[in-house]
Amino acid sequence: MDNIYYPREATIKDIKEETPTIKTYALKLNKKLTFKAGQFMQLTVPGVGEAPFTPSSSPGDVKEMEITIMKTGRVTDVLHEKVKVGDSLALRGPFGKGYPMDKFEGKEVLVVGGGVGLAPLRSLIYALFDKIEKIKKVHICYGTKSPLDQCFKDEYKKWESKKKVSVNLTIDKPHPDWKGNVGLVTRLLEKNYLQKMGVDIANSYAVSCGPEVMLKFVTFKLLDVGFKPEQIYLSMNRRMSCGVGKCARCNIGPYYLCKDGPDMCYADIKDYPNVFG
Amino acid sequence: MNVCFLNKSKIKNLMEILLEYGRVFSSMEAEIASNRNSGSRIFIRELQKDQIGDYSVPGFRAFDTFKSFVLPIRSCVADYPSENWTDIKEAKERKVLFGLKACDLVSFSILDKIFLEGPDFIDPFYKKRRESLILVSSDCMYSRDSCFCNLLGYAPYPTEGYDINISEIKGGYLIESGSGVGSKILQELSLPEAKENQIAERNKTRKKVTEELEKRNSVFAKAFSKPDIVASKTFDSDVGWDLGSTCVSCGACTNVCPVCYCFTLFDREGKKKEQYKRYMVWDSCQFKGFSQMAGGMNPRFSHMDQFKNRFYHKFFRFHERYNTYKCTGCGRCIDNCLGDIDMREVLAGAYSEKVK
Repeated sequence: MDNIYYPREATIKDIKEETPTIKTYALKLNKKLTFKAGQFMQLTVPGVGEAPFTPSSSPGDVKEMEITIMKTGRVTDVLHEKVKVGDSLALRGPFGKGYPMDKFEGKEVLVVGGGVGLAPLRSLIYALFDKIEKIKKVHICYGTKSPLDQCFKDEYKKWESKKKVSVNLTIDKPHPDWKGNVGLVTRLLEKNYLQKMGVDIANSYAVSCGPEVMLKFVTFKLLDVGFKPEQIYLSMNRRMSCGVGKCARCNIGPYYLCKDGPDMCYADIKDYPNVFG
Repeated sequence: MNVCFLNKSKIKNLMEILLEYGRVFSSMEAEIASNRNSGSRIFIRELQKDQIGDYSVPGFRAFDTFKSFVLPIRSCVADYPSENWTDIKEAKERKVLFGLKACDLVSFSILDKIFLEGPDFIDPFYKKRRESLILVSSDCMYSRDSCFCNLLGYAPYPTEGYDINISEIKGGYLIESGSGVGSKILQELSLPEAKENQIAERNKTRKKVTEELEKRNSVFAKAFSKPDIVASKTFDSDVGWDLGSTCVSCGACTNVCPVCYCFTLFDREGKKKEQYKRYMVWDSCQFKGFSQMAGGMNPRFSHMDQFKNRFYHKFFRFHERYNTYKCTGCGRCIDNCLGDIDMREVLAGAYSEKVK
């Protein structure tokens, strides 16, 4: 019988520094694995512990995957400070349901990211690009504290050069090297800005990932400009331990985020307690 | 199989047979001396051969739970990098649990739903431990203030899930099997069939204890007619929940609960680099760090949110998923609460016009 708590081996092929606190780890898996955009992995640093992360690379049948990680706790501190190329890590998963890709067909997708929250969304962006002929438009909105905190900087141009794709960036506070938008990511969701981007709200889905406080205000802003709760998907990547709906810490209402999510439709969760903490 | 009669003096023969099957862990009544709480208490202990002679089946549930036989406080669940390792000697060893009450049997059926939920997510360790158990249950001869199994729809005597059940009557026990192993053990004893008046005596005791419970808990019956709705619809209200203000977040309620199973995984370094063991340990939703994420954000930050979460999980979330409540009504959480909180009073307090 399979042991649901046992991870498989993965070796670090490359480490790329995105920002001073965020790195992307390219992992080589010991055998093929299939994952969907939005599904998450439990990454083990041997002897240190396990933490959940959503891959930031293109989904599908893969032997390699990238995971983008911010230095913010016990496991991620070790990842940033001690782990080197060639080291061996371990993975469990994929877990969860992932984004509802079928629903996005024939629609516009508004991708709203904040900080390291762009990591799981990058996987979604690649998945959308893969079937771009079936998607009407992809609007990417991304907010960070400063230009120094932007992940995947060298890819924005490539994304933008594609047909039907727009990239919209903003930073929280003015910065000498920045000439673009200033303000929180919700600024990009103001009605006039959405009009400028050419978003057809009635025909769109919004997908957001970022800190929970950001998700909260993004959701309220989206509702404010006319999105329905059914059109909003949120990546609720909370603390998870088992990944298989048993340890019972990641729940909203009757849902276990690790099993039923982590990407939840706002309409499904809005009436339950502690949705945004 | 038919109900048989076991003479009181012959209980040791049953014990001898059970000891041949494996180690026997039994609830037993023992005198304890302490300044705080002297008197006799019922504990779960390993039954030694020399104790068989004067063993008698306690008429009430044990103070502690049988949960740790399927979910140890701490157990190894992965030994990296040995991929096929799920093999723990201790888990496979046959054990007899003796003296379980109906609420203890219910707890196993509830835990089975979670850990044997298939097809992808069966916990191999739980499965092994669970399959190695022989369950010998017994009727409750009396109830106590904290008992409320009747409010959850259960009876104070076992109806299913046992290998053998024992009901105390005058001069001995009525004994019946509920499984193949149970029948085999009873055959070895070659017992006379129970007489009609003996069965009538058993049924009378069962009725008496049931009525005792109904009377004791009648004031809570309304709230417990739909506890899922009470726990979910009153989440934003303080009415009733304010009884939780004396909660000190010690986690006693979840530790003594026979069906609180929440756990966490943690890793310990091995001798060589890249070797490590993964352990599953009991956790509690009553602890502040339970849902806290790296970076400090906590979706259940307030004391009251944590307190309510226990009810919410037991009566709403679990019911939505498995169509049964995650509570056996054993009352251990009431007996052990430092803040003197009674789950029944909280739910009855929260039950209001809103719910009807």
